[in-house]
Formats: sequence, structure tokens, C-alpha cells
Amino acid sequence: MKFAVTALSGGRARAGVLHLGSSSGSCPNPIETPALLLSTRKGLPNFISPDLLPSLPSPDSHLLQFSPLHFLEGPSPKTISSIGGLHQMLGLHEYGLVAVARDSVQSLPECDSTNKIGASFETSSGRRLVKPVEYMEMISSMRPNLWSTLADEVPAWVSDKRNKTSAGGAVFGSIVGGSNVEERQQCAQEVAKRNVSGYWIGGFGLGESMDERPPLLNAVTVSHFSLNMEASILPLFDR
Amino acid sequence: MISVYECGRYICMEQNEEQQRVERRREAATRAVEMRREAAASSKGDEDEQWWGSRREKMMTDIRPSLTVSGREIDFGVMALRFEVLGRFNRARAAQLTLPHFVCQTPLFMPVGTQGTIKGLTTNQLEEIGCQIILGNTYHLALRPTSELIDELGGLHKFMNWPRALLTDSGGFQMVVLILDRVSWTNLSAVEVSLLHLADITEKGVTFQSPVDGKPMLLTPEESIQIQNRIGADIIMALDDVVKTTITGPRIEEAMHRTLRWIDRCIAAHKRPREQNLFGIVQGGLDPVLRDICVKGLVDRNLPGYAIGGLAGGEDKDSFWRVVAQCTAALPEDKPRYVMGVGYPLDIVVCSALGADMYDCVYPTRTARFGTALVPEGVLKLKHQAMADDTRPIDPTCACMVCKNYTRAYIHCLVTKDAMGSQLLSYHNLYYMMQLSRNLHSSIVEGRFPEFVCSFLQKMFPKGDVPEWVCNAMDVAGIDISSCCAPFPSSKD
Ligand SMILES: [Zn+2]
Repeated sequence: MKFAVTALSGGRARAGVLHLGSSSGSCPNPIETPALLLSTRKGLPNFISPDLLPSLPSPDSHLLQFSPLHFLEGPSPKTISSIGGLHQMLGLHEYGLVAVARDSVQSLPECDSTNKIGASFETSSGRRLVKPVEYMEMISSMRPNLWSTLADEVPAWVSDKRNKTSAGGAVFGSIVGGSNVEERQQCAQEVAKRNVSGYWIGGFGLGESMDERPPLLNAVTVSHFSLNMEASILPLFDR
Repeated sequence: MISVYECGRYICMEQNEEQQRVERRREAATRAVEMRREAAASSKGDEDEQWWGSRREKMMTDIRPSLTVSGREIDFGVMALRFEVLGRFNRARAAQLTLPHFVCQTPLFMPVGTQGTIKGLTTNQLEEIGCQIILGNTYHLALRPTSELIDELGGLHKFMNWPRALLTDSGGFQMVVLILDRVSWTNLSAVEVSLLHLADITEKGVTFQSPVDGKPMLLTPEESIQIQNRIGADIIMALDDVVKTTITGPRIEEAMHRTLRWIDRCIAAHKRPREQNLFGIVQGGLDPVLRDICVKGLVDRNLPGYAIGGLAGGEDKDSFWRVVAQCTAALPEDKPRYVMGVGYPLDIVVCSALGADMYDCVYPTRTARFGTALVPEGVLKLKHQAMADDTRPIDPTCACMVCKNYTRAYIHCLVTKDAMGSQLLSYHNLYYMMQLSRNLHSSIVEGRFPEFVCSFLQKMFPKGDVPEWVCNAMDVAGIDISSCCAPFPSSKD
């Protein structure tokens, strides 16, 4: 993954270009940012089969967000691996796939049950505790272009060691912290120390008011990251 | 009083009270319809009538010379299609059917787009798949959005953004069958029992209670045609008296005669013969004598095309193909023949061998929703656990978008849970039906129809256990399928 800022506003806004073309050989075209990610269900945008996807504006619609947790009931990581990863399984070679565990619809974080062992999600197949090792197994088999780390209040699972276990794809560190500005700042500082390619700013759309968002975003985007890193605010668009 | 629930599996409700209630409802319906018609006639109805009348007369004058057969003027010869047979193999034929909106190649399969749409597929995809004619259900369209609105919006083609050909049914069959089928037979409540009396056929037409507002409605042959004239499909169907084939006796005979009486009312009511083709429907159950009378009666009317109705309703396969064989043999060579409600690939191959040209059925899309794919070997149930790790496409020999992109394992995780599952399976299944139609057409044109039939049967019955009815039908069709049949111990006569 390569990200370059192409223009800065007088304030903090920036325009950039994201090149995903990577080890997986997919998504050959650069994507201009700010960019919207299309939400998906089991990897495909709702009701839009891949033959119809090109009728959406291009290349703006070439970035798809998916939840690996949609595949908890199958196909198994082994099967997905033998198919050749998610791009191959979905027939979407021209598209960038971004893995985020939470999807705000079918796979909601369940923080009360999240513990040291793993993160808990409310899914269509019931409540599921997902261990980092399981998550990494899914990521390895799916081979997304970008993937965000499994998130909780403290991003304990982002470590250099774990990043090395990934089968390619750029890692985005997850920044959470709920509605607490200090927590968010601390989280951002910790994540910024890690060897990650970008940041997933999550923990939104869980009951906070619209007025609370700007200071929370401000707290994490202010100075912790270098300019050439992509900050992605994923849940905002579908809430 | 004849009512549909006297028939077959429909339970006969003989309480006087119930019958009186039906009678009252029907009278109310008739009054309502007549009042509406009077109101319409007193306003702009007359003008319309005059305009259409003069137009029709002009059309008749245009083509009159060719319609005078042995001194007798045939008044019903206006048509909006051309049917050119491009190739034959014994009774089978491949033709080019030119309709106002599309030049079709037959044999062809028509998917059913109940409310102006085939669930989960766009009209672009249907074109891509190679779909030539879509069937619209008059009953559903007349209830919602109503034929008046469709007309106002420029007809069904425009309304559903479908540039190719369309066919609408008369609406009668749906009223009778859908309303009754919606009732749960195993657990009839009082409300459901009263629903049984909702559809009723008399000489006037089909009376039913609107499922939208509960008001009684009467669908006459005239009204069915008026609605279909407003919807504007390339092919419209005459209102027939629908009876299940599994019934025998005087009801079948009555239905056949009534269908013939109604065809004249349909022809008289048809105001757009230059843009829409009215097809007559051969009825007569499984009785060869009745079928014969009906075919002859319809052929006398010199209609643009003919349908074989009242089949695919649970009759045994031998009776089914024999009726098709009898009708196709008696119908004119130069007119399209449409077997209604037939959609199993095997049935289509058999009917095509017997000289039929058009088919429709909800089966390919309905079975897709239940997770079943059509494949040369028969069907593939994607719900089956064995599919969970199967990395092959649904059908490795299929060139459709789904088979080019997806594994059985992926489809397995979608079917019956996600809309995308039935979307992708419907796509494949319709592609399969279109490919079957293309293969039938080209094999007949290229003079290798028997080879095609044999390879089709070989894939479906690799052990050679081709059903006896298929063997019998192919015998009559003059197609030698001995190479793909295991020798029967007793067998064919
Ligand atoms: Zn296919």
C-alpha cells in the first residue's frame, strides 16, 4: 500500500491518493481520498452482483469494506485459502477489500463480553468471542488489501510480532476509546508507536451524540500520525 | 352454478348458506363492473371506441384481400408477428418469431416476471442472459400498479424498462389458482374456508374477491383483453376457463366449450391487433376428443398463435406429452405454439421434439430461491453440506457470470440466508434455460437435433434409465434415442 497526500486545505483537511496494488495483485487503479467504502454482506455489496458493480462510479466505488466475521459459519479459512482468497472467491479482482471486524449491521461489537482472550461480537449466528489468533487465521486466508486490527478499548493486540504473521495486506491500527477524549488520545499514541500502515478510527456509532464526534476525532487526528498515513473513519458512513 | 372448488383437490363446500353468499357477492360484483363500464362509456369511452373502430377498419381493409379464403371472409386475421420456420427435424422446428419489440429465436423459454420484474435480476442482466420474452402476470399488474397507470406511463415495456418482447396472461388462471393455493389446505380456519369461495367461473367471466380491498370483482373476457390492451405486451392471452387436468367429466367439457365461446368475445374486444397478438388457448383436459374440438375451433379463428393450456397441473407424464403431441399435430405449421406452464428442462426438450415452440414457468427462479441450481445432470442442491467445501463452480460447463466467478462453497454460504444467494442462482438458472433454448434452436437448424437430444439425455440419465414416457414421446417424435437408453427388460411397444 502507498498513500500520498496530494493537497492540503488551510485547515486539517487533505486530499490524497491510495495505491493498493499489492501482493494480492488486485485493485490496480489508485483511489482518491477522501473515499467512501461500500458496505458488503459476505463480501458483496447488498443486491449488487459483481456484473453490475461497474455501473457504479469508477474508481470511487472500488473500495469495499467487509467483515471477516460474516464467514464464521463458512466457508472455512481453509476453503477460502484453497479458493485463493477473498478477491478470487468474490470475483472482484479490480476492487480493494478492507477487512473490519465490525460492520454496524450484522456484526456488532459486544464490549461487555470482550475480555483478555478475545473480542466479542453479536452476529447472525449468535454472540461470538473472536480470538486474535482466529481473526488472523481468517485474515490470512482472505488476503484483503487492508485490514484493521481486532479492536477493544485498549489495542492490546497490535504488536509487531502479530503484524509479521499476516499474509500480506496493509495493517491499519484500530483506535478506539469510546466517548472519552483522554482514552482516545492515549490509544492513538500507543497505536502510532506500532508499525502500521494506517489507522482505523472506530468506536463510533455506538450511542454518542453527533456533537461529541468532532472533539473525539480531533483528539486522535491532531498530531500522532505522520502525514502520509491514511486515517480511515469507517463506521461514520453507515450510521 | 359451477364453481372451481368443485374440482379435484379443491374441497367442495356444499352448504347452502355459503353458496348464497357467493351468489350475493357475484351479483354485487356484476353490478359494480356494469356501473363502472356505463360510467366509462358515457364519458370518453365512445370516443375511444370510435377511434379504435375506425383504425381497426382501416387495418382490416389493408389486409383484407389475403384473408378471403374460398369466398368466406375471415375477420380475425390481423396479426403483429411473423413466424418463419428456419429448420425442422421431423416434428421439431426452429423458427424466427418477429414480434413488435423483438426478433426471437424459437424454441424459447420465457421467465415469469410477476410484477414487472424478475426477483433479484435487472433488465440489463436479463438481456445479457439472452432472455427474449418476459411473461407478465395480468392479475398482479392489474391490482398494482393497475393497467390504467401502466397505460398512462407508456405501457409495460416502458414501465419496467424492458426493450424486448413481453407476453401477458389473461389473469384468469392466477385468480383461480393463486387465491386457492394461498389457502393452507392442512389447517383451514373459518376465514380460509370463506376464501375458498372467492373465485367462481360463470358464463360472464371469473368472479373473485380482490385481495387488496376485499371487493368483489368480475373478470370478463372483454375486461381481460382491455386490461391487456392497456398493458401493451407483444402477445396477449385469451381468457380461458381453467380446470385442472386431473379432473374428468362434464366440467372439462363445459370448460372447453366456454373457452371457445369466450375466444370470440376476446377477439371482438381486442382493439390493438396490429400491435398485440392474441393467442387462443387449447383446453379440453386429457380427452383427445375435446382437445380436437377445441383445436379445430381455435384454428378456424385464424389467430396469430396458439397455446396449449391446462397442462403441468399434476397429470401423469404420459398423458401430458400425448396431449402436446395431439395439439401440435393439429395446429397450423406457420403459427407459434406455446405450451403454458412448462418449465422442466426435460419437458421442454420433449415438447420441442413434438413441435412446440414456446414455454413459460416460474420453476427456474422459484427453485433458485430454495437453493437449487439447474445443471446438465439434473439439479444441484447448494444447501447440501457437501457443498460447503466444494471449490468447483455450480456447473463447470456453464459460461454464465456466476459459474465464471463463484464456487459452490461461496454460493452455499449465501443460499436461503442472503438475497444474493437467490440472485446469483436465479441468474445461473435462467442462463441455463436460455442456453437450453439456444441449443435446441441451433441443433435443429444445423440438422443435429437427435444428437443434441441424446447428449442431453445421457447427461441427465448416465445409467441409461431414461423414463419410459420420454422414450414413448421420442418414438412419436421420430427421434432415435436408443444410444442413450439402457435396454428395457419388457419395454416399448
Ligand atoms: Zn452458470
